[in-house]
Amino acid sequence: MSAPAPPIAVINVSRWYGNIVAVNDISFALGPGITGLLGPNGAGKSTMLHMLSGFLQPSAGELRVFGESAWENPGMYRRIGLVPEREAVYPFLTGYEFVLLAAQLQRLPNPEEAARQAIAMVELEDAAGRATGGYSKGMKQRVKIAAALVHDPEILLLDEPFNGADPRQRLQMMAMLREMAARGRTILFSSHILEEVERLAEEVLVIVAGRLAASGDFREIRKLMTDRPHTFNVRSSDNRALAAALVADPSVYGVELQDGLLQVRTGEFAAFTLAIPGVARQAGVSIYELRPTDESLESVFSYLVKR
Amino acid sequence: MNGTLIRLTARQLLGQKRTVLLLLFGLVPVLIAVLYRVAGNDEPQRWAASALNARLIIGTFLPLAALVFGTAALGSEFEDGTAVYILSKPIPRRVIVLSKLLVSWLATAGVVLAATVVATIIALWGEPRDGILVGFALAVVAGALVYCALFMWLSVLTSRALIVGLLYVFIWEGVITRLFAGVRFFSVRQYTLGIADTVVDVPARVFNPRLGEMEAVALATITTALTVYLAVRRLRRWEIGEAS
Amino acid sequence: MPPADQRTGSIYDLGYRRYDGLRLGRQHAVLSLYVYTLRGAFGIGRRASSKIIPIIITVIAFLPALIQLGVAAIVSDEVDIIRPENYFGFVQVPVALFCAAIAPEITGRDMRQRTLSLYFSRALERRDYALAKLAAFATALMVLTLAPQALLLVGNGLASKDLADYVGDNWKDMPRTIISGVGIAAAMGAVALAIAAQTSRRAYATIAVVAWFLVTWPISGILVAEVGGAGRAAALLSPFDFVYGATLWVFDVEPDQDSVQDLAEIPLWGYGAAVAAYAAAGTALVIRRFGRIAA
Repeated sequence: MSAPAPPIAVINVSRWYGNIVAVNDISFALGPGITGLLGPNGAGKSTMLHMLSGFLQPSAGELRVFGESAWENPGMYRRIGLVPEREAVYPFLTGYEFVLLAAQLQRLPNPEEAARQAIAMVELEDAAGRATGGYSKGMKQRVKIAAALVHDPEILLLDEPFNGADPRQRLQMMAMLREMAARGRTILFSSHILEEVERLAEEVLVIVAGRLAASGDFREIRKLMTDRPHTFNVRSSDNRALAAALVADPSVYGVELQDGLLQVRTGEFAAFTLAIPGVARQAGVSIYELRPTDESLESVFSYLVKR
Repeated sequence: MNGTLIRLTARQLLGQKRTVLLLLFGLVPVLIAVLYRVAGNDEPQRWAASALNARLIIGTFLPLAALVFGTAALGSEFEDGTAVYILSKPIPRRVIVLSKLLVSWLATAGVVLAATVVATIIALWGEPRDGILVGFALAVVAGALVYCALFMWLSVLTSRALIVGLLYVFIWEGVITRLFAGVRFFSVRQYTLGIADTVVDVPARVFNPRLGEMEAVALATITTALTVYLAVRRLRRWEIGEAS
Repeated sequence: MPPADQRTGSIYDLGYRRYDGLRLGRQHAVLSLYVYTLRGAFGIGRRASSKIIPIIITVIAFLPALIQLGVAAIVSDEVDIIRPENYFGFVQVPVALFCAAIAPEITGRDMRQRTLSLYFSRALERRDYALAKLAAFATALMVLTLAPQALLLVGNGLASKDLADYVGDNWKDMPRTIISGVGIAAAMGAVALAIAAQTSRRAYATIAVVAWFLVTWPISGILVAEVGGAGRAAALLSPFDFVYGATLWVFDVEPDQDSVQDLAEIPLWGYGAAVAAYAAAGTALVIRRFGRIAA
């Protein structure tokens, strides 16, 4: 017996429309946990999610969900849940009926109970008896999520799930997704909003112009970007003395003194963080604060997009 | 067939406003039959068969009702973007097409059959029916199935199924079939009229379809099976629209 | 841009300026909407798939003219020339199809995409919007009713042995052709748009327009031919029948034996009055609809 197939495996997948390439030779594998699919508008995020959910055929390459092809394989929907981007709902169904419909189409043994539980998970009990046609954007988004996870899928694919959700709902949805991930579910969500991905995703896939620009933990990605210096902000008892001492260290490119703040640029993240305590002690300076300035996903992202 | 899908489709197709409008629509042939009887004419059998049933009901009402229900059952789900919810479920595509087809067929046949039966009874009040009532009742039920299957396939094929269906019904079946006799083999209207002839027992002067009975039954069966097959095949390979 | 002071907030002048030039005003807004709508009716400026159906229908409207000119060019100039009133009898079918396919696009897009409020917050008034849309749609229909005949007229004139003779024989038809073409476009266009504007859903609008054309047609045929009596007034119900009656009136031609217009025994000017009445009623309904709709 070989090892069990990973939940999602994407091997050299491309997709083009006529002569427009939407996804260009992308490979990755995903396991349990939350992964954010990040990219500017039009980068190919939706195309990727649609291929994973079996609603687009890859033009080239292979795309496997639990080792099976996602294309022309309705059986796989037993194990995956999809939250599409469009807000469409059946306006005449109530929220409860909409989730119940999903449960019945999944042929669950006790659809009523499953629907009630899913609605409770997205905290929509109060509105469950109302027609979805009158729902707000955030409520539609939540009822769609409830319908997608009514059968407790092993993989959950969400296309821009936080659109239209207010900050409180966003937090609640994030907590719920984290809880699912903790139970070993594989969750992939797309977003063009960095803050969402940064707060929720353990791993990121950055897609730029149809190509996979980076993948993994974004702090790790940052460390790989050696051609761009890391910048640290330092506050210490004597910035000027520390600056003088640091310039002597081979890992440091440059220093800059601004009022009350010392900015240090370095090419080697690890070497620098190891060296600085020793340098400071030797110079007789105490460090109050040492902070990398651009470790946010935003700086990583703008770097990848502009490259 | 899937009970959940059937119930969902029935609720989609039979919204209150639409049902009321369709019942009014079904009243039109009945009203015409009443006016005809009131005016009192000499050849009620010929009128009931060739004018009321063949031209008005089978030529116009049946294809229009089938166009409404046949393209809406699946087509409206593509247009609204709700198709994803039924397609992202572990249900064979065949079951989706057949369930949607069943509901649109029953809805079409229900409206048109009611109109046919009532209008024909009124038109032939006190006259020998000679199979006209049963023949056309059977024909509209069978024709509804063929039309619905055809239009459902169109709705999976193109987002403008309604317009394409209209061009088919009123240009192809309405005009071109009259100009070129061979086209009758590719006209659902002619199949429907041929099926009516299996029961209708009147002289050719009263009602004379252009296809033989057996040809009509065979072609109707083949068309239904083929369009259902093509719709299922197309749905299996359905791709989500880019900007939709 | 000067470097940002890190602790205090600053707002920089990015050079945005208010527009204080000339504003072209309401008339220009109406004209722009008219031109935009007219182009959109034929799919000009839209993606290729929106062009297919209007182009197919327009080609159908031109087919008889092209065939006649083609045959005349190849065979001889002694070919039967299509009479304008007969051409109108044919062109009604593509006009109806155009109404069914395109009328829902004329206002339905703005209703679906909720852009009405953008229009109404401009110099444009609600009535202007309705009239510009209607005028553009009627103009699009006139392309179908008048352009093939203009082509025929020019083609036949050039093909005839004596151009002066041809003009002398046919000049009387010109104003009649124009009146008929405008009347058909106005009556069918106004009513079709009034029906289509009631819903933002394309499918419902198409079905409703089609029902107006096609459900009334056999009803009129059966009531006039088979029922008779008061039922003959039904000729005024069916757009195909009353529009053709009006064309016969404009060209001063007797209806064919046993045609609806023959059997209905309505004086032909009655159809002309019906065309005017339908055009007026349709226009009023379109104006009323956009006067009340929640933008």
